[in-house]
Amino acid sequence: MQRFLIFTKAMLLIHLRAREVLFWNFAFPVFLMLIYGVIMSGFMQWLTPGVIVLNALSFGLVSSAAVLVDMREKGILRRLRATPLPAVQLLGAYLIVNLLLGLTQGVLILLVGVVVYGMPLSLAGLVLGLPMIVAGALTFLALGQVVSGLAPKAGVATAAGMTLYFGLMFISDMIFPIAQLPAWLQSVVPYFPSYAVVQLVRAPLLDGVLAANWPFNLALMAAYALAATLIASRLFRWDPKA
Amino acid sequence: MTQASIDLDHVTAVYGRGARRQPAVRDVSLAVQPGEIFGLLGPNGAGKSTLLACVEGLHQPESGTVRVGGFDVQRQPAAAKRLLGIQLQKTALLDDLTVGELVEVYAALYEVYLTPAQTGEFLARFDLSEHRRKLARRLSGGQQQRLALALAVTNDPQIVLLDEPTSALDPHARRSVWDNIRRMHDEHRTIVLTTHAMEEAEALCGRVAIIDQGRIVACDTPAQLVAGLKANPVLKATIELPLEQARSLPGVQAARYAGLHLELETAEPQLTLTALHSLAGQMGRSINDVRLRQPNLEDVFLKLTGRTLLEGPSLN
Repeated sequence: MQRFLIFTKAMLLIHLRAREVLFWNFAFPVFLMLIYGVIMSGFMQWLTPGVIVLNALSFGLVSSAAVLVDMREKGILRRLRATPLPAVQLLGAYLIVNLLLGLTQGVLILLVGVVVYGMPLSLAGLVLGLPMIVAGALTFLALGQVVSGLAPKAGVATAAGMTLYFGLMFISDMIFPIAQLPAWLQSVVPYFPSYAVVQLVRAPLLDGVLAANWPFNLALMAAYALAATLIASRLFRWDPKA
Repeated sequence: MTQASIDLDHVTAVYGRGARRQPAVRDVSLAVQPGEIFGLLGPNGAGKSTLLACVEGLHQPESGTVRVGGFDVQRQPAAAKRLLGIQLQKTALLDDLTVGELVEVYAALYEVYLTPAQTGEFLARFDLSEHRRKLARRLSGGQQQRLALALAVTNDPQIVLLDEPTSALDPHARRSVWDNIRRMHDEHRTIVLTTHAMEEAEALCGRVAIIDQGRIVACDTPAQLVAGLKANPVLKATIELPLEQARSLPGVQAARYAGLHLELETAEPQLTLTALHSLAGQMGRSINDVRLRQPNLEDVFLKLTGRTLLEGPSLN
């Protein structure tokens, strides 16, 4: 247990000391909220839960995946594998640190929504919404691991993650209402993981209740998370591709 | 009979499959005894690092068994890894951690928990005290190498595996690494290191295995390996002299010119040199730049493989 705590702390320090990680994790989400506020001032209460999920999506698909790929390319994973540290503890520490960072970002954006844009937030909404944010972040994290497991290099992983992120950004009801989309797209979008997560997060934060179709969305999200975890663990490599 | 620290039994290791299958280690059997400094000497690509990776549990051999302190590396990896301290060819440090933090974290990975005072003592031993609060990424190449070496023994291992510990270091940094390796030896650790520098193998190693194209072609003390050559020392001198006259000097087995240098293979260097001096005096010629070169591991490698250590593997 002591070993796990020391290693988890080391992983946290690595994340906090990388300037670009700090910027993307904490400064950028706040900046995003302020920019949206300028261009879509009337919609900020509806938009805030969407930005939280959007941020979790970029975090899972792009930035957190990149750290692990970087560790693999530098040979750090190989070096760690030569020690008696069990793989479960290595990945567990990585997961905990990323959850912590992801949750902090969600709370930060929520804070801007409440303080700057006067979003009403009930205790029930917080109790129902926060676990959904965490579960959503975990799902995106697993999807990000699939992307980085398939990518031969860190640069490719980032590019693929970015492409997926921008693709999902406009069609998942996050910052752009789904009602504005063409009909055929509207019938497909509800099967996307990002759409499911937004629905699970938005209703509690805005109204303090779960949306009517929450069992379907929750099951869909869980299915994506499970499938991604299984695929990611099959794809996981300690060494860079030769 | 004491148990070998490392025991390889008919180990073959390959990369790739099917048509791309490439053997890196071919049927190697080897035992390293406790307290040895054992060198794996060979050119780049000879299979030294793959051999170490098999011992470290980082590469699964295609066939054969590897034991560390009696534990089968494939079947009891955790027990084997606990006995090992390692330094990989790529230093691969978590370079956003400070030097002090790295020492504490690497010790903790082996469930060894250092107090701040113990960490301080440890860093002092590796001459890294002044860098304790510096991020690893801010260290010079030589300092990083020294840190990687220090991290190999945070867990107080019985056996230390060092992959090219001095490659790409300047002579001064190399000396400092050698001193640290000798101290690990004084601490009764078994050390296995890879190198493609014959002077490093000669300076440090009690026994050396010469590796070429995945096979061990010779294994003995450096002195025995050289003695096995039955080669004579070579006396080099800058002097103009007819070759027939040079050949008739006492002790000389063969004579040739390499540029301006006369090279005399001689069984009796002392006699040959004295005779060369008097001959030069009689002929009124001057001798410049006299050197005696003893046969070394480089010659052993050349004799066994037909290539030099710097040439790398042949493509056949």
